[in-house]
Amino acid sequence: MAIHQRNDWYDLTRATNWTPSYVTEDELFPDEMSGSMGIPMESWEVYDEPYKTTFPEYVKVQREKDAGAYSVKAALERAKIIEKSDPGWVTILKQHYGAIALGEYAAVTGEARMSRFSKAPGNRNMAMFGMLDETRHGQIQLYFPHEYCKTDRQFDWAWKAYHQNDWASIAAKHFFDDIITGRDAISVAIMLTFGFETGFTNMQFLGLAADAADAGDYTFANLISSIQTDESRHAQQGGPALEILIANGKKEEAQLKVDMAVWRAWRLFAILTGPAMDYYTPLEHRGNSFKEFMHEWIVGQFERSLIDLGLDKPWYWDTFMEELDSTHHGYHLGVWYWRPTIWWNPAAGVTPDERAWLEEKYPGWNARWGQCWDVITENLIADKEELTLPETLPLVCNMNQLPIVGTPGEEHWDIKVHTIEKDGRLFHFSNEVDKWVFEQDPQRYEQHMSIVDRFLNGDIQPMNLQGALEYMGMEGVAELGKDAHGYAWIEKVKANMKKAS
Amino acid sequence: MALFPLHSNFQADFVVQLVPVDSEDTMDRVAEQCAHHSVNRRVRKQPGVMRVRRHRTEELFPRDMKVSDSGLKPTEVIDIIYQKS
Repeated sequence: MAIHQRNDWYDLTRATNWTPSYVTEDELFPDEMSGSMGIPMESWEVYDEPYKTTFPEYVKVQREKDAGAYSVKAALERAKIIEKSDPGWVTILKQHYGAIALGEYAAVTGEARMSRFSKAPGNRNMAMFGMLDETRHGQIQLYFPHEYCKTDRQFDWAWKAYHQNDWASIAAKHFFDDIITGRDAISVAIMLTFGFETGFTNMQFLGLAADAADAGDYTFANLISSIQTDESRHAQQGGPALEILIANGKKEEAQLKVDMAVWRAWRLFAILTGPAMDYYTPLEHRGNSFKEFMHEWIVGQFERSLIDLGLDKPWYWDTFMEELDSTHHGYHLGVWYWRPTIWWNPAAGVTPDERAWLEEKYPGWNARWGQCWDVITENLIADKEELTLPETLPLVCNMNQLPIVGTPGEEHWDIKVHTIEKDGRLFHFSNEVDKWVFEQDPQRYEQHMSIVDRFLNGDIQPMNLQGALEYMGMEGVAELGKDAHGYAWIEKVKANMKKAS
Repeated sequence: MALFPLHSNFQADFVVQLVPVDSEDTMDRVAEQCAHHSVNRRVRKQPGVMRVRRHRTEELFPRDMKVSDSGLKPTEVIDIIYQKS
């Protein structure tokens, strides 16, 4: 049988639409599911995704990607990368798998929503591939860490994290439920694929693959590259949706969704990628600082994407730029200090050489976060580990669900909590932008209880750290986060002190 | 007497923390309990007296004022700062 050339049929099939006759257009695409903002179906038919593929092409390429990633894994299984790598690198793997693997499954739901409810046929077609992508990403990122579970229980959190009430899990679920599972099709296209994937993850995955190769972890490098090439395709669903909204007089609504998603994505990046790049990655493998990376790969390219589409920079852009210097240092300090409450082992990253690097990349670091680390370091040298562990909970933001941090130091202390009172309840926010996101739709967010709200509500029993750890899903000491290097870095501090004296 | 949760923003520290106090505690006692979670953990003890104020305000609560008389609401954020004598 003769096979038609791709060019003969591709545009017809990818843009196929139906004129409903048994139901109305509104019944077929209810606005609360499609998010089409009243724009009729024919206006969505001009949707033109920049990356095009056919189902046979997709299957062929995906099969090759899977074969490549799984083959590299099989070939390198005896390389014992986990045993031989710096603990800082291993902790990046644990953090990544727990935070991302099941988030990918959440993304399946978002892609499925676009695939069914988007009025744009091209969007529905691409989202079908996106749905298959995210299914693959979920599965492969559960399969790869699984082999490590038998020797290290923290790797079980690849599967476990999203099923628990760990504070970091709550933060991730709150974010992904907001931009993926709890939104209509066009909001998903904008908030997930444009705000989160185009804005952040696509570039992040490129960087992470390079870091993995640099650290000698070719299994992970291949895995991440395999995922990233999918991301770069399905992340392009948001752009054409934004073009249609803008062309039909909905720029303000589109801008709002972009602004909310970008800010929320930034918070998650600040606590996951910031510490990974500036503290967990062994010094000899560090290239750009997190701030440099953000400026070069995220800020620059995202600004261009916004301008190309005819959108504006989010109103909080100056605040965003200021936060690149500070927020992740506070998050890292918080994660390290509350380390029993997380499933990875944070590397402190504050040996004398590392502190010199931080000071060079972030002038003034020593007079700010360094002052806190000075006290922690002295306590560890004096064998007072108990003073480096928490006895209470940090205040958690009612929007991003992360600890509320600011700049420390005697000369630089600056923490500004933003609070609103609603029906007798106080809601606290990390800054004015988190508060602004909440205020865009208070009914959507106000019923949610932060980990601190739950503690005060009596949901966590007994009301102490042990009760909190059990509530968060920690099963035994082996799962509790600890200093990645078992405080070995203190010896470098002592050696430096000896040399100085 | 009743449990009264407050959030402590302690001078020079990097994070705001939950500190459950008692409604009959004085501000000096509140400051001590907040210090327990910051001083010698991430900040050094400073000379002077620890004073309490409502977050992002300038006016200090009297040292002997009870929480129940302060007008503070449960879970409100307070600043603890050193007042040099």
